[in-house]
Amino acid sequence: MATAVQTPSRREIISLFRSLIRSARQFPDYNIREYTKRRTIEAFRDNKTLSEPSSIAAAFADGKSQLQVAKRQAVVYSLYAPKVKSIMDIKH
Amino acid sequence: MKGVKISGRPLYLDMQATSPVDPRVLDAMLPYFVSQYGNPHSRTHLYGWESDEAVEAARGQVANLINASPKEIVFTSGATECNNISVKGVMHFYREKKKHVITTQTEHKCVLDSCRHLQQEGFDVTYLPVKPDGLIDLNELRSSIRSDTGLVSVMAVNNEIGVIQPMEEIGQICKEFNIPFHTDAAQALGKIPIDVNKWNVSLMSLSGHKVYGPKGVGALYMRRRPRIRVEPQMNGGGQERGIRSGTVPTPLVVGMGAACELAMKEMEYDEKWVTKLKDRLLNGVRSKLDGVVVNGSTESRYAGNLNLSFAYVEGESLLMGLKEVAVSSGSACTSASLEPSYVLRALGVDEDMAHTSIRFGIGRFTTEEEIDKAVELTVNQVEKLREMSPLYEMVKEGVAGLFLVFLQVTWQSTPLDEWWLKHVQRI
Repeated sequence: MATAVQTPSRREIISLFRSLIRSARQFPDYNIREYTKRRTIEAFRDNKTLSEPSSIAAAFADGKSQLQVAKRQAVVYSLYAPKVKSIMDIKH
Repeated sequence: MKGVKISGRPLYLDMQATSPVDPRVLDAMLPYFVSQYGNPHSRTHLYGWESDEAVEAARGQVANLINASPKEIVFTSGATECNNISVKGVMHFYREKKKHVITTQTEHKCVLDSCRHLQQEGFDVTYLPVKPDGLIDLNELRSSIRSDTGLVSVMAVNNEIGVIQPMEEIGQICKEFNIPFHTDAAQALGKIPIDVNKWNVSLMSLSGHKVYGPKGVGALYMRRRPRIRVEPQMNGGGQERGIRSGTVPTPLVVGMGAACELAMKEMEYDEKWVTKLKDRLLNGVRSKLDGVVVNGSTESRYAGNLNLSFAYVEGESLLMGLKEVAVSSGSACTSASLEPSYVLRALGVDEDMAHTSIRFGIGRFTTEEEIDKAVELTVNQVEKLREMSPLYEMVKEGVAGLFLVFLQVTWQSTPLDEWWLKHVQRI
């Protein structure tokens, strides 16, 4: 695409981060939930240093598509959640 | 399940048996289960074309991860099939001239069993022994090569103990003698960097479900230059260039492709995470227990596979006591038998220590809390079992008990292992 990619604003980035964390919490599976949270936090931390507008836009677009995947899969995982929870979710 | 009462689903630490499907992989697969159900070999309509396109894209993703060409990838049902095609297929194809196969004693059962099958047909097989650290001796490999050696098969990462064989050096030796080199890289894919050219492999077996992909799919790498040829096991419609007939399962193949692409992106991150957890586990166990031995080389190993032996503890009781941790004493294929692992025995691990081995498999989705929990449960269980063990009591009592220990040991004629000696000297 030849058209200039728009760099996302700070507010948009924070909003994406929050959405990702929110959909991570939707996973009934303990491991997937924890992983999605951890991976989101660390990916945003790693990308903090990006300065090139194009790479910021690329990372943002990637995050957005990941959010779509997370939203869809949180639904699928909820539909087929096992009756018995992980022991990590029980004892705390 | 059969009288076992559990309060919750156990925490999963058996990543070498199989790994959970990554939600991103499942997301890529679902469309091919739901609407895009065409047969990838149908050439007459859209359904076939879109499936074919997806299969070819997946082939590219798999090839990319191992630095191969997509044309060198053949989709199969899993690493076992790949190993069968490689070992039996190559030897059958070159049966006129080549009569000898070299493999190792610590290979996966499917390679060993294929070799045994070849032996029944009159082929000659050398099972290379391994050093106490689980690695093969390169000089021994060199000296076992004969003029009629048709294949060298050495696995990259061992499924039970996680040691990484010196692939580049083995590849170099095979190149020198111009012998095809096959490797079972099911446990290596997505975990350590793989380059088919650096390793100089002619054939490589890959599996989907060890890299957070679906079960029931694998891929065989077959070098095109210089070309390696095999006799197919499955005859039929001539799919996969006639090497593996049968309809290619589009959703599974797409899943394997997605898993490989993900592994490529995440390998570095996963590696760091898994290493961190492995250290946490090992330090946690070692800080509270003595007599814990890591089986296999400590340097050349994949961090996600930690095989530990606990002295003075009976392995089956330990596994039974660890109901809330899903771990295994060795490979899943042999976990039904009470026999100690043949891999550990090949390492020269004593019978009693081989009996107490536990394989902790750490992966992408393992958490720090799970590791802490596993450490706590393991330590408790080992301490409980040791309290009951008269042998451990005597060892703890020290010099006074030393004589008795020796008496018992010699009486049972159990050979003293290195750890034992060290321990006794310390007392």
